[in-house]
Amino acid sequence: MSGERARSTRRFAFAAGHRYWVDGWPAAENERVFGRLTVPHGHNYTLDVTIEGPIDPRTGMVIDLAELKRVVTEAVVARFDHADLNADAAFQGRVPTTENIAVAVWELLAPKLGADRLVQVRVWEDPTLYVEYRGGAR
Amino acid sequence: MIGDPVVELTRVYHASAAHRLAHPALSDAANASVYGACARPHGHNYYIEVTVAGRPDPVTGMAVDLAALDAAVDRAVISRVDHQTLEAVPELAGVITTGESLARAFWRLLAPELPEAALTRVTVVETAKNRFEYEGGAR
Repeated sequence: MSGERARSTRRFAFAAGHRYWVDGWPAAENERVFGRLTVPHGHNYTLDVTIEGPIDPRTGMVIDLAELKRVVTEAVVARFDHADLNADAAFQGRVPTTENIAVAVWELLAPKLGADRLVQVRVWEDPTLYVEYRGGAR
Repeated sequence: MIGDPVVELTRVYHASAAHRLAHPALSDAANASVYGACARPHGHNYYIEVTVAGRPDPVTGMAVDLAALDAAVDRAVISRVDHQTLEAVPELAGVITTGESLARAFWRLLAPELPEAALTRVTVVETAKNRFEYEGGAR
């Protein structure tokens, strides 16, 4: 038996600071649109990375979770943990909303994991809010 | 990538409510037979997850106005069911309050309050063991 597909999801965590702020806007406009989100603050983010692929007939694995852990830790967690997201190159000209963090994480991981294997990233800002991105556009 | 990315945003809400599973046309004994322990009046700490799809605005980065979403969900659903007996909620008249029927009923209450086609899923988490999802249609 080969070619049977399955999904594996591994969970990661990083704590990061951010604020909602559009550099091209006056302060009053930022405060009108974003309110208290303009004040620098932080979150304990949780990141779920989902890989899909055939179950390897020898190893029984879709992906070596140790490899997934290494790639995500190097590309995302080491970069964003205890970091100021607004200062990161990924968020120049892009407000680090949960939506944009999910898209940025996808952009960091897809070249390393393969857009064919990476099927979803889910970023939890806190236990009441998460954003999922599967690489789609319209 | 062609076009703007489309993300799905999910917000988790909470309501505590009493209910029982019983069909009004059935006797108490028949309801007990069909629904078991669920036919007795009891309650849950419900978690209601609302998922909307959208493109992050290229300037603000927001796909959804969260304050507007919170207000709509509170108005359409939470304020009507929190600390209520579900069978007594006028908007749920005729609904047998299973998780799946609640998910569908909440969808119908909420969809008109949100931008066209934004709502993609309503999930009712009745207990840590029971999760019900409704995506708005038949197939």
